[in-house]
Amino acid sequence: MIENKKLSDLENGNNSNSYHHMLVIIEVVNGVVLPVNYEMLGEARRLMDFFNKQYNSNEKVIAVVLGQNIKDLCNELIYYGADVVVYADDPNLRYMVNQTSTKVISSIAMDKDIIAKISPDFVNHYKKPRYMFFAADSIGRHLSATVLAELDSGLASDVNKLEISDLEIKHQHKTKGNALKYGKVLEMYRPDFSGFLWTTILCLDNKNPEIRRDFHPQACSIIPGAFAPLEPDPKRKGQLIEYTPKFDQKDLKIKILNRSIDKDKIDFDSFKIVISFGKGIKEFPEDNIKLIETLSKLTGAEIGISLPLSKKIFKLDEKINSKYMIPGRVIGTSGRKITPKIYIAIGISGAVQHIEGMKEAEFVIAINTDENAPIINECDVFIKGRMEDVLPVLIEEIKRIISPLEVKAKRK
Amino acid sequence: MSLTVAVIVKLEPDFSEGNISYNADGTLNRAETKSKLGAHSSIACLAAFYAKVNYGANISVATMGPPMSEIALSEAQSICDADSLHLYTDRIFASADTLATAEVLKKGIQKMKENENENNNGIDIIFSGHRASDGETGQTGPQTAWKLGYPFFGNVIDYHLNLKDRVVTLKRLVVLNGMDNIIEEIESPLPVFIALDPSYKPSFTTLSSRLKATIFKKNAEKKVTNFKSYLQMFDHNSLDLDPKEVGLSGSPTIVYKVERIPKGKMNRKAEIIDGRDRNQIKNIAEKILILNEQYGRS
Repeated sequence: MIENKKLSDLENGNNSNSYHHMLVIIEVVNGVVLPVNYEMLGEARRLMDFFNKQYNSNEKVIAVVLGQNIKDLCNELIYYGADVVVYADDPNLRYMVNQTSTKVISSIAMDKDIIAKISPDFVNHYKKPRYMFFAADSIGRHLSATVLAELDSGLASDVNKLEISDLEIKHQHKTKGNALKYGKVLEMYRPDFSGFLWTTILCLDNKNPEIRRDFHPQACSIIPGAFAPLEPDPKRKGQLIEYTPKFDQKDLKIKILNRSIDKDKIDFDSFKIVISFGKGIKEFPEDNIKLIETLSKLTGAEIGISLPLSKKIFKLDEKINSKYMIPGRVIGTSGRKITPKIYIAIGISGAVQHIEGMKEAEFVIAINTDENAPIINECDVFIKGRMEDVLPVLIEEIKRIISPLEVKAKRK
Repeated sequence: MSLTVAVIVKLEPDFSEGNISYNADGTLNRAETKSKLGAHSSIACLAAFYAKVNYGANISVATMGPPMSEIALSEAQSICDADSLHLYTDRIFASADTLATAEVLKKGIQKMKENENENNNGIDIIFSGHRASDGETGQTGPQTAWKLGYPFFGNVIDYHLNLKDRVVTLKRLVVLNGMDNIIEEIESPLPVFIALDPSYKPSFTTLSSRLKATIFKKNAEKKVTNFKSYLQMFDHNSLDLDPKEVGLSGSPTIVYKVERIPKGKMNRKAEIIDGRDRNQIKNIAEKILILNEQYGRS
């Protein structure tokens, strides 16, 4: 019982003095702080304000920035909610190379000198950060995985809701089957692949005496667009700390030879209309795609898809597969975020990941057989019906309206 | 100058129409859904096959999973003409999160190194897919790379080797929200860990490489009919793994709860139209053309 009592102190940790603060890893690309970073800072601020009030504590939101000539960006991060900015400014950090960035970020996370500057009270027992945020994009997804492998702790990816709470946990391994209290737990919600289920991931230390292991920080990568940034406040004050990174010569042999804009990228941004289709094409996929092509030609639209289709779930002609069923056409968190004037969602139920990619469209039309599909809450017009019936009529009506002269002119 | 590569693959639910089954609430019916080599895993196999055709690579494919995961290994062999297949299977590996999975894969790859490479530098390249289509974390690859001390490169769309200097040049597709996609060209000494972008496609342009590809394909077909003779199984004992470091007990994270995502607040109030009503469809046609400035407002 005594053992239990000792273990169940209100802390997600075996060493409650060892973990402090929230680290937010900032991505700077071509001298620009990406929007998701301000969103992460906003959410970190909200959570740590709650934390400090709830636990009568004074833990900080620490933004960590790596790059070259980045010092000028640091104040901006304070305006958006950071208490402290730790920056490493070095020509070797001009581009985010996973190998070097992982080592620099991990050493910043463990650095006691930095903690001494931020909160001298914590320095004696300090081991690792309490919480850590990364962006769920092409940089942060990989970086979060390697940094957490280095720090030997857990990670939830693609999170879109967060809470801090005290929980009672009963787990075969973590608590050896006993019900034990875990305090200051970060509840990390991530939508699963279906888009309909929310899985809450926790990163918990093992309080089981046989396999006692500390798993801090509790870390996650955050979906761009999931959280709102704060209004920047130029009067907010904070602390800037410079960190001088050390490099392994071996790692510096990794060289960026060239960086260019991807010209093959589908240019959704220059289209006023985007028409996307989803699993609803399933009855007659090839015929339905032909109808969608006709509609897009008539209206000058670009064509998008929902994520499941990029997994080539239908047996189709290879030409159609390689033209449409590709990652570059996916609208949503795993693909593109677009803001067309008109968005037409055909046979798309509206998983949260998809909504994230199209919710800023000016006018949304959905064609769907199911009135209970979540897309109904995200559209201005919901045409209830089979696309096989609706599309031919819509195409016919559009053809009828478009000036016959214009059509003739095009034929010449 | 030899080249040794490993491919890490995963057996996944088959998301294709006819093979996948959903419950009434829209979630995956795992019992009814068939399994196969994951789509992204097969892309990793294509990259390994490219190394076989162009650089004469020796290929090992590895997976962690239940015994039935051997299906994934045989499918992988049929794509890349693998020379050996490794299955890490043990009941205590079950329910591992990405870090505990990476621990098993690390030990497995280290074992491969010991067994197969008396004459050279070890495994030169490890390939993996972008991410599993059921877990969708994309963490296992980079974490395995990190534990092995291999530099990790994700979203790779193309690669070439200079075997003499043991250097790889590769292209990555960097997709960032609110920014143009970037293609980054990188040079790195071997060994490396490469996770392929879903858009990766090897191309065999020269006649000789096309010829070789055809021959290896035929070889692969032959091998697969007898894939079990290429298969080696490992459990935690044969991989020298501490049971505390793997499976559920070695996982920092747990799934605390699973719930239906509540219907989002109604962001737009939809006007509901009957798809059979031609007049209403005509109105929509007009609305589209007006907003699209193809049709005057007058």
